[in-house]
Amino acid sequence: MELVCVGLNHRSAPVEVRERFAVPPARLGETARQLLEHEGVAESVVVSTCNRTEFYLSAESVEAVLTALERQFEAGDPEHWYRRQGRDVARHLCRVAGGLDSMVLGETEIFGQIKDAYRRAHASGSTAGMLNRLFQRGFGIGKRIRSETGIQEGATSVAGSAVELAEKIFGKLQGTRVIVIGAGEMSRQTAQALVSRGASSVFVTNRSFDRAVELAAQMGGRAVPFDEWAPVLAGVDVVISSTGAPHAVVLPHHVEAVRRVRKFRPLFLIDIAVPRDIDPAVGEIDEVYLYDIDTLEQLADKARERRRAQIEACERMIDEELDKLNLPGT
Amino acid sequence: MGGGVERWFLILATILAALAGVSGMMSLRHGHRSRWTLPTMVGAMLAQFAFLSLRGQARGACPLLDFGEVLVFLAWSLTLLYILVGPTYRISLLGVFSAPVVVLFQAVALLPGMLDESPQPVTEINPWRETHAAMSVLAYGGLALAAVAGVMFLVLDRQLKEHHLSSGLFRHLPPVRELLVSMVRLLWIGLAMLTIGVVAGFLMPHDSGWAHLIAACVVWLAYLALLLVKQVRGITGRRFAFAAVALFVLSLSVFAFV
Repeated sequence: MELVCVGLNHRSAPVEVRERFAVPPARLGETARQLLEHEGVAESVVVSTCNRTEFYLSAESVEAVLTALERQFEAGDPEHWYRRQGRDVARHLCRVAGGLDSMVLGETEIFGQIKDAYRRAHASGSTAGMLNRLFQRGFGIGKRIRSETGIQEGATSVAGSAVELAEKIFGKLQGTRVIVIGAGEMSRQTAQALVSRGASSVFVTNRSFDRAVELAAQMGGRAVPFDEWAPVLAGVDVVISSTGAPHAVVLPHHVEAVRRVRKFRPLFLIDIAVPRDIDPAVGEIDEVYLYDIDTLEQLADKARERRRAQIEACERMIDEELDKLNLPGT
Repeated sequence: MGGGVERWFLILATILAALAGVSGMMSLRHGHRSRWTLPTMVGAMLAQFAFLSLRGQARGACPLLDFGEVLVFLAWSLTLLYILVGPTYRISLLGVFSAPVVVLFQAVALLPGMLDESPQPVTEINPWRETHAAMSVLAYGGLALAAVAGVMFLVLDRQLKEHHLSSGLFRHLPPVRELLVSMVRLLWIGLAMLTIGVVAGFLMPHDSGWAHLIAACVVWLAYLALLLVKQVRGITGRRFAFAAVALFVLSLSVFAFV
């Protein structure tokens, strides 16, 4: 039996091609099962995420695989498809599981997606000895890559960096209160990232009150009229500011006015506006930690660099592990 | 060598604490936490305990009769509290920061003249004096650990303020809020024990005057004031941490002379 992987991903195919071959999670098992109906195909697992669709098969020959895919999916333009055989399939699966093949290097979601795809294929009876062993070992190696290298360390986006910093200041974010000044997309993403980690109350203020109400509703928060945001500072831990104002909106006297009421608790200010919304002098107040968009971008860049520097170690780990395992078909 | 076998236990405790600190720092430079800090500090604590037990047997009383013994008792109290508090509250790196303080105390205790070379048994034991001495030094262990947490806070605060965020030290320091909470807890623990020590101090005989007890009362009041300000009025983390460190260093210096 030959071990074959055929697929397309964000590097090999544009979204209009990828979307044609996307398989919804609920149909992954069924699709894998249908592939077994083609002559010469013994086992199959279908992985489909927003960035990739991949078919892992054990079959009598590569030709049998290609014929099966052509018949079932009308695969069409071959220039977008890549093909791996034998040991390269195992190496590819480990790279994907370890996040080395992802658009955001080291991202963690893919590991769960592959596990889910395998579980569905297994439940539909589409896997047996060869693919079972391949995937189980692949998960082991993927886990080792994530735990023993720095491939998933550090946030690689502005919102992620802001969340990491908030956790460095407040620890667990449960019960943390946030005010969003200016209801732009970037501030929405950042606030949403904080909420997803446990931030409980979100206040939103915007020059257009309707927009504030809309964003507050999206996040289960409360809208505050733009001329009433300053007193809210007394009760929040995080301020995300992203207005389109040509001058500073948050000034030292706004924070000075509420310091006593806040009992001088730490205050994390995130300024993602250009020009900046928060007067840099605010950052000189003892308990204030002020970060602007450039600093957050730099943090994300450094995290990406650190992850890139781990690729070689990850590849080495994959090869060492595969050498030891001697998987069937590789 | 003066002091007999117990001195070797003290040397062993000092070497182990130094190892804990150095290995912890070296691991941080490589971007990860050392798994050996806690076990090594446990080893140091056992060696300190052996030293204090032997000195206690020789004295027939709590071994707090010369400056060297006080320093070792203090180092033991600090180490013990770190072992109890660090893992419980998950304050990572507390051991790495505590180890140099332990090494410093014990290194001073090992200097010539700090430990009686032939400790004499105590002829008259007063339970209040014993309680005063033991509780005060145990309290100082808690206050020392609060000062260590204060130093950790000041380091982290500076890194956050100046955006120096890529070091292994930064990545592994506990969050700002947890450090502040730990400092408050440790100060309350220290103050509670110091209260017992001070009360016992009033009940013990005062053959050598009141200066020592007055100093203890001033220290007690200063810590109480700091905690009340923190709880009632509020104080910035930086000032609170600085005050915890400064009060500890000042009060220790005062007791060295009073």
